[in-house]
Amino acid sequence: MAETKYIGKTIPSKEGARHATGRGLYTDDFTLPGMLHAVILRSPHAHARILKVDPQAAREPPGVFTVVTPEEIEKKTHPFKPGRYAAGLKKAIPEYAGAIGKVRYVGEPVAALAARTRGAAEDALELISVEYEPLPAVVDTAEAMRPTAPLLFEELGSNLAWKGSLHYGDVAAAFNQADKVVREHLKIHRYSSTPLEPFACIASFDAASKKLTVWVNAQVPEVIYDALREALGLEDVRVIIPDIGGGFGQKIHLIRKYVVLISLLAIESGRPVKWTEDRSEHMMAAGHSCAQEFDVEAAVKNDGTVLGLKFKEIDDVGGSISTLTIHFTNKLNNLSNTYRTKNIFLEGCSVVTNKCPVIPNRGIGKPGMCFIWERMMDRIAQELDLSPIEVRSINLVQPEEMPYTTPSGNIYDSGDYPALLKRALEKIGYEKLKAEQRREREQGRLLGIGVVIGVEPGGRNAARDMAIFPEMKESPGSGGVNGATIKIEKNGTVTLFLGSPNCGQSHETTTAQVAADILGVDPEHISTSTPFDSDLAPWGVAAANSGNNFHLYDIGAVHGAASRLREKILTLAAHVLNAKSEELAINAGVVQATGSPLKKISFAELGKIAYGNQALMPKGFEAGLQATFYYTFPHGEPNLVPGPEGLVRAQFTFSAGAHVAVVEVDKETGKVHVLRYLIVGDNGAVINPQVVNGQIYGSAAHGISVALGEGFVYNSDGQLLTLTLTDYGKSSTMETPRIEVEHRPSPSPFTTLGQKAAGEGAAIPSPAAIASAVEDALRPLGVRVRELPLSPEAVWKLMQEAVR
Amino acid sequence: MIPASFEYYSPTTLKEALDFLSSREDVKILAGGQSLVPLMKLRLAKPRTIVDLSRIPDLNYIREQGSRIVLGSMTTYEQIETSALLQAKCPLLPQTAAVVGDVQVRNQGTIGGSLAHADPAGDMPAAILTLAAEMKAIGPNGERWIRAEDFFVGLLTSALEPDEILTEVRVPALNGAKTAYLKAAQRAAGFAVVGVAVCLRLDQNGSCNNLAIGVTGVGDKVYRAEAVEKILLGKRLDANFIEQAAREVTRGVDVIEDINGSKEYRSHLAGVYTVRAVKAAMQA
Ligand SMILES: Cc1cc2nc3c(=O)[nH]c(=O)nc-3n(C[C@H](O)[C@H](O)[C@H](O)COP(=O)(O)OP(=O)(O)OC[C@H]3O[C@@H](n4cnc5c(N)ncnc54)[C@H](O)[C@@H]3O)c2cc1C
Repeated sequence: MAETKYIGKTIPSKEGARHATGRGLYTDDFTLPGMLHAVILRSPHAHARILKVDPQAAREPPGVFTVVTPEEIEKKTHPFKPGRYAAGLKKAIPEYAGAIGKVRYVGEPVAALAARTRGAAEDALELISVEYEPLPAVVDTAEAMRPTAPLLFEELGSNLAWKGSLHYGDVAAAFNQADKVVREHLKIHRYSSTPLEPFACIASFDAASKKLTVWVNAQVPEVIYDALREALGLEDVRVIIPDIGGGFGQKIHLIRKYVVLISLLAIESGRPVKWTEDRSEHMMAAGHSCAQEFDVEAAVKNDGTVLGLKFKEIDDVGGSISTLTIHFTNKLNNLSNTYRTKNIFLEGCSVVTNKCPVIPNRGIGKPGMCFIWERMMDRIAQELDLSPIEVRSINLVQPEEMPYTTPSGNIYDSGDYPALLKRALEKIGYEKLKAEQRREREQGRLLGIGVVIGVEPGGRNAARDMAIFPEMKESPGSGGVNGATIKIEKNGTVTLFLGSPNCGQSHETTTAQVAADILGVDPEHISTSTPFDSDLAPWGVAAANSGNNFHLYDIGAVHGAASRLREKILTLAAHVLNAKSEELAINAGVVQATGSPLKKISFAELGKIAYGNQALMPKGFEAGLQATFYYTFPHGEPNLVPGPEGLVRAQFTFSAGAHVAVVEVDKETGKVHVLRYLIVGDNGAVINPQVVNGQIYGSAAHGISVALGEGFVYNSDGQLLTLTLTDYGKSSTMETPRIEVEHRPSPSPFTTLGQKAAGEGAAIPSPAAIASAVEDALRPLGVRVRELPLSPEAVWKLMQEAVR
Repeated sequence: MIPASFEYYSPTTLKEALDFLSSREDVKILAGGQSLVPLMKLRLAKPRTIVDLSRIPDLNYIREQGSRIVLGSMTTYEQIETSALLQAKCPLLPQTAAVVGDVQVRNQGTIGGSLAHADPAGDMPAAILTLAAEMKAIGPNGERWIRAEDFFVGLLTSALEPDEILTEVRVPALNGAKTAYLKAAQRAAGFAVVGVAVCLRLDQNGSCNNLAIGVTGVGDKVYRAEAVEKILLGKRLDANFIEQAAREVTRGVDVIEDINGSKEYRSHLAGVYTVRAVKAAMQA
């Protein structure tokens, strides 16, 4: 593209005004004629056998139309196919949309009911009587793995539902050659992203045509599409995805259960049915990130070089087998982080417990992987008496090594990690801060500076899990595909059909900027068709508001479609203007022959011809002004599909960021105040700086909040104690520091415009940055930070233990 | 998220309201709704009848009455926070009201509702106890005054009878006493993990000749830290001395434990906040 008028600039968000002024259309905003309202009966027990469900009394009140019980769910639906997320499952265990026979976590759906109003539905729900035989709850992974522990899934014979390992390079040799082995035990807790809008769905079934239409705020249309077809045995399914009030991974997976249940109610009642989850339901049953524990060993040289890394991971995956290994397999995405270490061994254990199932949440296992590396870097520095900056620096992949192939087969497209680190230290004034820290320590103030670095992988490769599970029967596919369609209407305006839904990340703005530059129109004149509609959208497997897919697949597809359409416009215009298409330029929706001021034609005039005037079209010209393009990553080889060594491109682009956190710990209360938070990031060529910054602010705020205390807490009976936002403890804007951002882009040589990902990035290193800063603050006490969250009480306890 | 169905009354006189209270089954008074409505939405409370006080005139005022200030029970946190009269004559109330929840909660929540709800982590109860305020309750048998020390009975339980309405709160005008309210707030909602209200006077020599310390969030109800008060009273309040005395803040109290703090941590925080609140009051 010759010039970029819009790409790279902050233009006002196209959808922002709609969202901010209450004009967005979310699933709950839709009403269909005769629509019923559904509610879900959920398990009050963490672990129990369902002895009997008696819905009779609930069927009686006026206004109640349909109740579905476990018996009916088992009879009228099929279990989900164990998909990619259940990779590693030893034995097929049928998983239905509702609990059958047993409940395994508080909040697990047991029955569902539809009535004329939501109030009537909630009243009637209390009348369903369920007889449970409570079983002992398993809430701790160590307990769960004892041979005598009660089993969640008897069929598996153990709560250790999966165990496996991977080996890259020569780990034994690395440990033999080491001057020292540094060991650590690390932990990350359960949390979520608590999107503003919980799950919502409307199902409408046309019995005559057997077509099921659902409106749902799902991030990945394919999950819903497949789930409905599998569970309900339907062929014709239409998935409409309106505005979404935040996704972050929460709305990828477990939401499918509810769409099936609500669709079953719609089929049974013959009426459209709406369901909107409430906050407490979301907290208990919509999915949590996985609590992870790591036993880590690093083989190091005295200069800090890390020759090898070994870690054993225990994942507390909760009460379902359908997302067994995702937090482990995602470690492949950033397995070596920004470092050159060649020899890595990793072992994973997935343990089922009586807690909410885990789901993909902003980065999935990647924050954990970054936490491992960055905690170890600090620990190595301590043990070798080196500076933490030195240890990181000596291990960084160098810019001249790019593109760099990691030991597990990732190919880092571009990046200058030493420069990111250097600039971050410069910008924060590291040396000055260190001096201030020394002075203040003498006054008794506990100041800490945490410096970390991390990659942010982008663009999913569907074949990744075959590296760990070569025996996978059904290939999960490979690479990714997504499309876009772009169209000039008869009146000259431009309409864009995206291949994936949008959770509020300004996709309409960013894609319009790309299309605008290619087509030579103002982004103002491009409108994006919403909602996403599976009947119309050119979507493929990568049509996912997840996996950091947008920058790669959606931008690639829009770029391809717009370029195709440009060709078409020029062909038609050249013919009409009697010019050569090479002589033509497009500006503000007008095609103009260079050097001939009178030879010009507008999109509106071209539209009239393309849709209605055959005589003016060139011979062989396909009428209409529309183009569709399906994008696949053109540089997917090598390692697109894992070979026998397990080498795989887990993701395709690699953003990176150096984070610096400056904190003060209140030595009396343990409360951590974040004084400064700086990110120097490489998100490749940035299409809209404000949009990208928005992603960075949000994901950093989340990671910081996670590190400082937001999270789920269960008691020993498996009851969730954090059922509301009051208890969950998310940081509000009041507690969130200002996030300082500087961009130092290294454009990707592989992507359409040099772009890379931005959606998860800051959530990956930020928990580690806070841990590092808090440990640094508490250094005078000799405290080691091994666990998140660092709530005031947790920090106070660390200080107490150190003093003792 | 939708309350169980209930009958709703919105009387315009106190008498009418009292009649509803004594003639209906299972009645709940509705003031600002900031505690009651969330409980109803979660169906943890399912009253059959709601009597809304908002249309009864003259339950919302802040007035000087001799050496006292009186507040109608429907006075909101926001009104207390911004009252010039209270800021001048009883600053502890605005200091406390200002740190309750968020703006919406303060616009809506009332002093009467806060006291009647008797939340063990409520901010206003700590201030009211510290001020030795008195509450006026009107019931079928007429009115009675309840002293703050008798008002908070236990976990979410006040001395009000089910058929009584709290109508007025009476606090002394402080004429120069120094006050402070500080709390260690939970993330997000801002409820007190520990909150300490202090009201004190120092004589010319800098000795403390008047002291009240009210503590919230620590026990199953708000309480006065009498052990601490006893130690400090009549003494000069130097930093070490305050710190020593503050260790007694949980003496005789069964310290609660929840996700926001273990017994141990809460006890420690209570000490820290006692020191901070006493010092803040001295500097007020
Ligand atoms: C998000 C959020 C944050 C909050 N944060 C805080 C905080 O930081 N600190 C804090 O202290 N509180 C906090 N609260 C609670 C808040 O202070 C409540 O407003 C207060 O507890 C109740 O006052 P209300 O007027 O809303 O009463 P309501 O909710 O209407 O009533 C509460 C109870 O008192 C009874 N009642 C009300 N008025 C009378 C009366 N005149 N006579 C007899 N009985 C009566 C009702 O029947 C009910 O049982 C928070 C609430 C929310 C929703």
